[in-house]
Amino acid sequence: MKEFLKADGKRRRLWFGAPVVFVLLPIFIGEGWLSLFTEMMILALAACALNLMLGYAGMVSFGPAGLYAVGAYATAIFLKKAGLPFVLAMAAGPVAAGIVGAVVGWLCVRRTAVYFALLTLAFAQIIWTIVFEWYGFTGGDNGIVGIPVPAFLMSITHYYYFTLVLVVTALTLLWRIGNSPFGKILQAIRENPGRTEFVGIHVRRYQLYAFILSSAFLGLAGSLFCAFSRSVFPGYAHWIKSTDMLVVCLLGGIHNFAGPIVGSVVYLYVSKLISSYTMYWMLFLGIIVVLLVLYMRGGIMGYLSEKFLSERGELQEKGAGEKA
Amino acid sequence: MTIQVLAWQALSGLSVGMVLFLIAAGLSIIFGALNVLNLAHGSIYMVGAFICYSLTSTFAHLAGVFWWTLILAPIATALLGGLIEIVLLRRIYAQEMLYQYILTFGLILILGELCKLVWGVGYNTVAVPWPLTGSVSIMALPFPAYNLFLIGCGIAVFVGLWAFMRYTGLGQIIRAVTHNREMVNALGINVPRVYTGVFMLGCWLAGLAGTLMPPMSVVALGADMEVIIGCFVIVVIGGLGSLPGAFIGSVILGLLTAFGIFVAPRLAVAFGFILMIIILLVRPWGLMGKPE
Amino acid sequence: MRSNGRKILCMVSGALLVFALLTTFAYADKEAILVGHVHSMSGAMSMYGISCATGGEIAIEEINAAGGVLGRPLKQITRDDMLSPEVGLREAKDLVINKKVHFLTGTISSAVGQAISQYAKEAKVLFIINISQSSRTTEELGHRYVFRIDTNAVPYFGYGPALALAEKWADKKVISLGFDYEMGHNGLRMFKEKYFELVPDAKIIDALWPPLGTTDFTPYITKMLVSGADCFFLSCVYGGGELAFTKQAWSFGLYDKMHAVQPCAGDVETWSKVKKGEPYPKGALATCRYPFWAIEDPRNKKFAEEHHKRVGFWPSYGGMNQYFIIYALKDAIEKAGTVETEKIIDVLKGMELNTFVGKVRIRECDNQAMMPTWYGIMDFTPDLPFPHITEVKALVGESAYHSCAQIKELRGK
Repeated sequence: MKEFLKADGKRRRLWFGAPVVFVLLPIFIGEGWLSLFTEMMILALAACALNLMLGYAGMVSFGPAGLYAVGAYATAIFLKKAGLPFVLAMAAGPVAAGIVGAVVGWLCVRRTAVYFALLTLAFAQIIWTIVFEWYGFTGGDNGIVGIPVPAFLMSITHYYYFTLVLVVTALTLLWRIGNSPFGKILQAIRENPGRTEFVGIHVRRYQLYAFILSSAFLGLAGSLFCAFSRSVFPGYAHWIKSTDMLVVCLLGGIHNFAGPIVGSVVYLYVSKLISSYTMYWMLFLGIIVVLLVLYMRGGIMGYLSEKFLSERGELQEKGAGEKA
Repeated sequence: MTIQVLAWQALSGLSVGMVLFLIAAGLSIIFGALNVLNLAHGSIYMVGAFICYSLTSTFAHLAGVFWWTLILAPIATALLGGLIEIVLLRRIYAQEMLYQYILTFGLILILGELCKLVWGVGYNTVAVPWPLTGSVSIMALPFPAYNLFLIGCGIAVFVGLWAFMRYTGLGQIIRAVTHNREMVNALGINVPRVYTGVFMLGCWLAGLAGTLMPPMSVVALGADMEVIIGCFVIVVIGGLGSLPGAFIGSVILGLLTAFGIFVAPRLAVAFGFILMIIILLVRPWGLMGKPE
Repeated sequence: MRSNGRKILCMVSGALLVFALLTTFAYADKEAILVGHVHSMSGAMSMYGISCATGGEIAIEEINAAGGVLGRPLKQITRDDMLSPEVGLREAKDLVINKKVHFLTGTISSAVGQAISQYAKEAKVLFIINISQSSRTTEELGHRYVFRIDTNAVPYFGYGPALALAEKWADKKVISLGFDYEMGHNGLRMFKEKYFELVPDAKIIDALWPPLGTTDFTPYITKMLVSGADCFFLSCVYGGGELAFTKQAWSFGLYDKMHAVQPCAGDVETWSKVKKGEPYPKGALATCRYPFWAIEDPRNKKFAEEHHKRVGFWPSYGGMNQYFIIYALKDAIEKAGTVETEKIIDVLKGMELNTFVGKVRIRECDNQAMMPTWYGIMDFTPDLPFPHITEVKALVGESAYHSCAQIKELRGK
């Protein structure tokens, strides 16, 4: 709110513009695209959750999909098997994912760098195995289908608004977390863990907090997707899905809060576009990924920021020169 | 569970374990020297398998075609590896692990699709080569000779590689690069060329595995994904960068799978991951690796 | 972290991107009758997706050449589900909402099939399955809007092999090996259901469950060799895994030691490149969903050859099924006089299809077409280069499927 009030007229218009656009979107685009857009929002949330660890804290996780699946399955099981009220079941997702994240995270943060990453991978694969094998509880490889949600949410437009509200709230929370002192500490840990420890910060504890928070938001994304598609499958926990999330973050740019959001929109749109033209879409995706890593490590937002910054810099200098 | 059954299960587990060793050894050596987790290693193995199929089926009329393929196919994958290293990997050595992981993931997609483009989507077979088509009687069980050959190959390659690393100048350079790149560079040795060589060696091993596996299995898309996670488990258990570690890890995983199916059939697949987690938590440098 | 101006920029960019999407999507073709087809068009299973799409295209071209349906041409729009239920669902929604298809068909993966089936139920769109075998989709999870013109797991993986084994050898000690996933377990369950009914003193002396997708079966094979069984039964082991199993079992002499019931061995797709002298399921009892070489009807020969001409391989049963589905839709639309979903469904229920494998009725209680399954002994014959079933017998009619009473019970649970 403070920022909004401080902002100049142009910014104020932008601030107003964006929410209005999203609220009025269903009037302009059909339900088909609205459904895709809902998916983009959910993926954006998952990617931003992952980026709290990845971009802010510098903790590379190979297994975010595991926590995402925990959230999705928790909601699915509570809705379908326990018949809990919808709000409770949705809340169960992030809570369950947070708890699992706490346990897994506590073990994983004992190691760093590649070992940490491999631990996250192993845990995610164990989650996948449990989900796949425990037919009685999770439906095994059949998954769970026909998950009951309140009737008014079955409509694509209604679910879009529901997701919009939740995702914007969650993203705002993540934004606040990232910009808070806590977030600054995470960035410090990323830059130089040794020095941060020396200043008196208990590095491992903060890493664990980041892990738990990230897991909870991942779980929320999972719950949202569960209610969106009214079905869950073990594939939600697979390491390939984890890699998709990593690619989304990288594509958008991990050093920018908005990066994963942009990444998810572009990723879903481009993969849909490519697959409608050729059955060799994986080849093109692979090439894009390789080019991304080689030439655009900052992702789309990194690239745009550079351009924007340099233009701005030029303008300012020019202005200064003229004044003089 | 008689001695007989024990022996058969152990041999079964080992024959596949040895092929996995070849892939895992390459993965481990590459990580040790280059510090890169090559996710696409399984894809190189798959390319090797397809090349093996192509050569054996195109030149099926030639006697001993399989043995020629055993020489040629790994060379082809080594060359492919060299190309990948020079064109792509070299640019990301200085980058963080995340970028390397994603780059090699991109390679999985590219190589997989190229295989599909060239060889199509069907299933292909390679015949067991003469003179290994028969079986050897082991405790009254006719054990396929080819499987025993695989075990022999695995051991031979391990011994050969170990001797190479230990006793030859080039092997010493590779080990030195693993320990201290700067020093080796300062001594005037062309480190980038060593890196290329190591990567090619790793891919040669993957290609060798890709040629040895088809006669007892099938050549098809999806082989890359199937082996890569198992290899990660092996390499972690054995120790990233350790050759004896990869050998021991493969033996452990092979036996674990073979005997696991007696103990807890449905969860056997998770045993590897659990062991991996335990190792990472207790002794992350693996059974045979060196603490940093 | 950079300032929040970028955030706005990107959010607005995102919105603009979406607006751009508006201008790029094609409007539905008002003239044609559109059939959506969601299948695995890339990856390891793409052979089936391609076969199904081709089968459909062949039928559509024949029908359009003869004047179309109610004077309108048919058109098939195929999408790749990437073997992922999320993607499959997304594509199905896009087809229905944006492309305005009148009907949905498809899938090989049961998970994708169930995700789409559920959407079809919510959106009240007709969805006809052409390959996915999971009986759950039409039984426990069945509903008005999902049909299957295809065999399902009951005759193919379970009842068919059981009937065949009971008739041929009636072995008492059977050891089973199946991929460790729900279809695998279900296959054994259904085999037991029927087999124990026919051979009451038979026993499954052990059940082995290798992980789904594995290609190394040697530890299991050695276990089978010492088991003392007269016969082994494979549950849902198909494709590359089955080829690998056969090779390994052959090298251990398993096919000489005991009888073999290997349902998926009848699938030509897996064995088409295997030549005489190479390992194959020698003497095994196999079920087959489309023995195109053994079907007399001239329409069959024409179809198979056209398929081979277009894509270079013989049609899978999926290709045949999609061909029948298109014709079934044609007949239903002509009979109902409209493309309206509810009326089409009413006509389809109980309708008898006039196919080149005989007359096939779509049963009302589960919308399952009573497609025949064939079985026989695997062997080589001079007329074909690949191994296939011989002494072919057909399992026709409802006895090979779950009865309506059984389904009612399953749905009640």
